[in-house]
Amino acid sequence: MAKLYVDTDKFGGSNMSPTVEAFHSAIKDIVRQKLDAAGGHWQSFVFDKSLDLITAEDFKSVEQMLTDAGHRFDWSAAISPQERPDIYKPAEGVDDSDIETFSFEHPEAVTANADAAGREQRGHGDNVARYSQDCTGTARYIRSPAQVLQYLTDGVPGDTIAVIDDSGGTLTAPILEQFRGVICAGGSTRSHLGILTREYGVPCLMNAKISGIRQGDTVTIECTADPKTAQDYQTNVERTAKVWRVQAAG
Amino acid sequence: MPVNPITYAQLLETNNLMQINTDESYWLCVTRTVQESKLFPVPSYMMMSYLMAFYRYPSLLRKIEGRMRAEEIGDRARNMAMKIQHPGVSWGLPCFYMLGREWLINIGLLKPTDAIEDLIYVMDFWKRFMLAFHRNDGHLNSWQFGHRSQILPERQLQVYHADLYDCEAGDDLHEAAHAFMASASQYGFLISCESRISLHNHGPYKLDDTTELMVRDFMDLAESDFPWLDDVAADVEFNNLSVTMAVKDCHFYLVDDWGSFEAEPEFSAERLVGVGLYTSDNLSDGHIPVGMGSREELIATFKRLDAQVREATNKLWRRIAGWSRDQMIDAGAITYFSICKDLAHVAGVYEVDDWMKIDERAERFRPLFNDEYSRDVLGELVGYLSNPSQKVMEYTMMQHANTPTRMYSNIPYSVLSGEPYTSTVGMMHPGITNLPEKKDVFTTTKGKMTFAEYNAASRAFVPFDARTENAHLCDTWLKYHAETAEAQALYEHAQRASRTLKGKGAGLSRADVAALRA
Repeated sequence: MAKLYVDTDKFGGSNMSPTVEAFHSAIKDIVRQKLDAAGGHWQSFVFDKSLDLITAEDFKSVEQMLTDAGHRFDWSAAISPQERPDIYKPAEGVDDSDIETFSFEHPEAVTANADAAGREQRGHGDNVARYSQDCTGTARYIRSPAQVLQYLTDGVPGDTIAVIDDSGGTLTAPILEQFRGVICAGGSTRSHLGILTREYGVPCLMNAKISGIRQGDTVTIECTADPKTAQDYQTNVERTAKVWRVQAAG
Repeated sequence: MPVNPITYAQLLETNNLMQINTDESYWLCVTRTVQESKLFPVPSYMMMSYLMAFYRYPSLLRKIEGRMRAEEIGDRARNMAMKIQHPGVSWGLPCFYMLGREWLINIGLLKPTDAIEDLIYVMDFWKRFMLAFHRNDGHLNSWQFGHRSQILPERQLQVYHADLYDCEAGDDLHEAAHAFMASASQYGFLISCESRISLHNHGPYKLDDTTELMVRDFMDLAESDFPWLDDVAADVEFNNLSVTMAVKDCHFYLVDDWGSFEAEPEFSAERLVGVGLYTSDNLSDGHIPVGMGSREELIATFKRLDAQVREATNKLWRRIAGWSRDQMIDAGAITYFSICKDLAHVAGVYEVDDWMKIDERAERFRPLFNDEYSRDVLGELVGYLSNPSQKVMEYTMMQHANTPTRMYSNIPYSVLSGEPYTSTVGMMHPGITNLPEKKDVFTTTKGKMTFAEYNAASRAFVPFDARTENAHLCDTWLKYHAETAEAQALYEHAQRASRTLKGKGAGLSRADVAALRA
């Protein structure tokens, strides 16, 4: 079989991700086969014959190889498992079917028993901006456009503390300003969601590591804490704000 | 073997320019923020965009230079807030192209010796544009200036300085300006499919010992290039808006090649003590004041524009929420790939199919880009630098990381000693789209036009500063010739719409400007 330029690489080694390694190995096999079929002449192959010989069908076979072996892919955009539930891991917490029992569970969430004020710590996060008072409201998970659309149609309850794992600024764009607060289980205070909540004056913890917070729980976020700065991230300074559950749902 | 010989000097310079981008890209990617979304399949569209850039940029840049040289566009870019600043040309143009190249090397579909003349040309285009764009601060990019971005000449800065309206936290102007910037930022993220490339900041410029000026640009807001803004943005008046911000007791110590900033102490709304508002494009001949006739007019203008972008945000979000995954990938990939499309507008050679379609050579890779593979390979390409091609000899300590890695593979010098190589990816191929076809309308500062009309207007127009007699009258020349008629003309042109400086000419100092404001 044809030998590729990258087949000899003194320093290369493997990819870090097993998925990437599997994909790239399979693609390189396809390239070797097609190069052989084209006569093995690289100069006439690379920007000419390969365009006809290596097709979308070939690339479909790469993904198929992993799903046939039982692999199910992680998803990041809600549309992905919605369109192709057969290849992605199940999407949880994206609609009413399991929202009452769903919760983010971070292994590093710092939890503690209820304090004298009855506040039970359920995690911590990076405070985006300091406010004069901590923020209390009702936790409501938002993980999909369908949930946002529902709030757009029915209105966002005024006491909503949105619990999100999307640090971007687009999913909640039309309703962000109506949140009382945000707990985001991802990103940093420099993420788009962090930037926008600061601009709108909505208290927000980013990179939140939480556990056991359910839909409808009454929660408080410690937005009176020092904000985590860019310099803190670059110098690995630990500066966190607490998330408390004040009252469980129901 | 190609006919045109490549020289050792060309390769040395090209590899250096690539290494500059390696150093800056790594720093940007690991210190700024991870871009993610539950709405858009972001890594998937990014990967697609890199391939589009690799296959199309060489042809498109040559087409642009068939009409206007890169350095002339760079000169013009200083005087307008279009998407050819940071991160458009400063970072996106070279890096998207090189990321496509790097990924193809890692799947065995490219050698580091392929498309060498394309690579040399793309990097040379970038260098010439950037040196011209940064002519006033004298650097190649913001990285070379220690992350600072001082683009503007004195005459424009004096106008910005003089015409600022004072404000303070809690007053009507402060609230209106702040509300607009929040809404416009959010709208910008949505227009750009979660990326920040509709937004740009440059500066800081020193107003006095305690106050700095930052300029925030919001671009591509109205019906313009993106098909997804057709109709939903029909009522957005201005395609590009720039907010000038005077900020007190806060030093912007970092303004990077993505056009984002950091300040010490942190910038917060209460530090905003002055604002102005402008629009511009390649037909405006500089920055046109918007609602700057009076304080009351400016407050009303911010409120009106805020309402426009809020309405457009809601309409656009509903449109996007109804898209298929392929449509989302198309929109995101087009947004990224076309990050430097305004080069073609300035040159007057823009064609919708050049910039708003997925090249068929890139399209065939789409089945690979599920969420997990795309996330992982993107992370390895720009963060971990763990693709085999990115690993170099073990004694290496890469800038910022101290690891034996490099983001972009150099061209091997062995091609000068007979190792076979290829020159180019070839001519443009057709493109496809899963999105509706773009309406033939573009919002300029001269009104709404068809694309043919816009190209014709762009080709016919020469800004005052770009005229042959003015093009090389730089700040160093001005230092010694401020009393000349030529200098007066340059300043009076920049001052022509200023309520404070109109007709004041070239002799003012910064203190004079401050005194005129008092």
